[in-house]
Amino acid sequence: MLHQVLNEFKSAQGALNLSDLARKLKVEQSALDGMIQFWVRKGRIEDSQLANSPALSAVKGAAPSACSGLSCAGSCPGPQGCPYVMEMPRILSYVKK
Amino acid sequence: MTLSTTPVQVDYGKQIERELKELGEAIAQTPELAEAYNPRWLAIQLLEGDETLLAEVAALNGNAPQILEASIERLEQIYGEDVDVMLADRRYNFVNTLVQGAVTRSTAAGALTASDKIDKIVTHRWLGIPIFLVLMWAVFKITTDVAAPYLDWVDGVVTGPVSNRVVSLLGLIGLEGTWVESLFVDGILAGVGGVLVFVPVLMSLYLALAVLEDSGYMARAAFVMDRLMSVIGLHGKSFLPMVVGFGCTVPAIYATRTLKSEKDRILTGLLVPFMSCSARLPVYILFAAIFFPRYGGLVVFSLYLLGILTAVALGLILKSTLFKGKEQTPFVMELPPYRVPNPKSVWSYMWERTASFIQNAWTIILATSIVIWILMAIPMGGGGKFADTDVNQSAFATVSGAIAPLLKPLGFNSWQASGSLITGFVAKEVVVSTMAQVYGVAEAAEAAETTTFIQDAGQVATSFISATVDTLKSIPLIVGINLFDEEAEEEPGALMGAIHAGFEATSDGHAALAAFAFLVFVLIYTPCMVAVAAARHEFGVRWMWFSVIGQLVLAWLMAFVIFQGGKLLGFG
Repeated sequence: MLHQVLNEFKSAQGALNLSDLARKLKVEQSALDGMIQFWVRKGRIEDSQLANSPALSAVKGAAPSACSGLSCAGSCPGPQGCPYVMEMPRILSYVKK
Repeated sequence: MTLSTTPVQVDYGKQIERELKELGEAIAQTPELAEAYNPRWLAIQLLEGDETLLAEVAALNGNAPQILEASIERLEQIYGEDVDVMLADRRYNFVNTLVQGAVTRSTAAGALTASDKIDKIVTHRWLGIPIFLVLMWAVFKITTDVAAPYLDWVDGVVTGPVSNRVVSLLGLIGLEGTWVESLFVDGILAGVGGVLVFVPVLMSLYLALAVLEDSGYMARAAFVMDRLMSVIGLHGKSFLPMVVGFGCTVPAIYATRTLKSEKDRILTGLLVPFMSCSARLPVYILFAAIFFPRYGGLVVFSLYLLGILTAVALGLILKSTLFKGKEQTPFVMELPPYRVPNPKSVWSYMWERTASFIQNAWTIILATSIVIWILMAIPMGGGGKFADTDVNQSAFATVSGAIAPLLKPLGFNSWQASGSLITGFVAKEVVVSTMAQVYGVAEAAEAAETTTFIQDAGQVATSFISATVDTLKSIPLIVGINLFDEEAEEEPGALMGAIHAGFEATSDGHAALAAFAFLVFVLIYTPCMVAVAAARHEFGVRWMWFSVIGQLVLAWLMAFVIFQGGKLLGFG
């Protein structure tokens, strides 16, 4: 089961929708999420919504630093972040060993 | 009803069960462990690498640690995988089999939710991109048609009552007719006011995008765009910074950090500036209103599309040359369910972005407007003195005029156009504020009428009501129904007339073509100095220069092809 999940990530051609993947594997999305979290802990899948994920810090966290000080020349409203940054979907990527 | 109470045990398979048995026996022979734990449970925990229990076992006498080590070695040799993975895999299989046999769902297995059903169409392999384009077209139609009456209202307020009040206030303190009045009216009001006029347009753009974002559609747009990028060989995750780029290039450049490979990061960073940021929109709207009044939405939409297509084409070229041979990393995306947009969230998104734009107008655009006014007030060659010189003989005209010949093949080689492009390096909104300054002298003078405060307040209120009525009448324009009286179309303002005449003069009568070439130049060349600083910070000085020079060369080439090609084909 777990390997089946990882194989789907390995063989994905472009982006896959998580709910489509759950249907394909004939499991509940919550069960699939548990299996994905297992692989995340093992370092084989990267979850963009984890606090230490470089993806998250780049999209959400980097904006304030990008817009801080002189570099933004006043085009950002403050340390709460850049208003142009959009809420992006959770992305799970396969990490090669 | 009888419930079975037989304990169920997970079957881990022949090899693992053999190791569990051996390890369990070793645990059972260690009294301290046998008393405290179930041997099979402990054996599983040890094989899974529970650090606390491993330390506890290692501290005791007995052969369990040696057996454990040998078991792990044997199992890893058999499966070529960590033992904890194998154990978890077997457990998931066991639970799945149990669930399949025991749980009956009210809905059929694999039944689609409402969101899934919508996604079948919205993220469809062939329909996804056309749906995305239709929605984007609707967004720009709303932005250009529906917001236009409020744009005219703000313009009327800035050039009318606000200018009048400033002039009369300066008159009260004895500054009427001095260079200070010129600084306020021709510099600050023309520059900052010229940009603030576009606040209603940007508000409607941000409103439409916030509705799409809050409904969950933007995540689908990203999904659809990713497919397109994967097809042409770009990294799938490049879509993330690119979508951010529609708002602002600076956070988009920083968002390239989502990509692990340095090559992918640099490549995406080079392409992100072609996603038309919202600061360019005022330039598009102004030119669309002057040169393409009936097709404003279409022109703006075509520029956004051209930006995407340029990024895609350039991505393909760079991917097969400088950035050759990078493998794709597959990924899975969790699409949030669709929902009715929350008015509070939509307002918050819209207001934060609009506030940022206004703040920009009061800082960077104000400063640039003052610098441009000073340069326009300094005489160079010819007669005149400070703030009393022919603007065509000013320092700004001289400096801008020096590069104007380079733009002759593009059809906009006036010092006003080249000067606006130079100041556009600071920020793209500055292109509009500079144009308002360099072309708008006549209009500012025109605005200085003598009116009372009550008259001005009355004009603001009545024109607001009129703008609201016109906005309501504009809504059916989205579906092509025109409720406006065709003959009631307004004459273009002095600024718009001056820009039109300027482009007409430099393009040998092909003003519309030159204007479109100018818009393409604005779309393609360097977004702003902050974006350049971000590129330097993220990718280094070499790639920053590559990006800046490349954008300038490409902007020139594309504008050249449009103007000269259009002339050859008889357009404009």
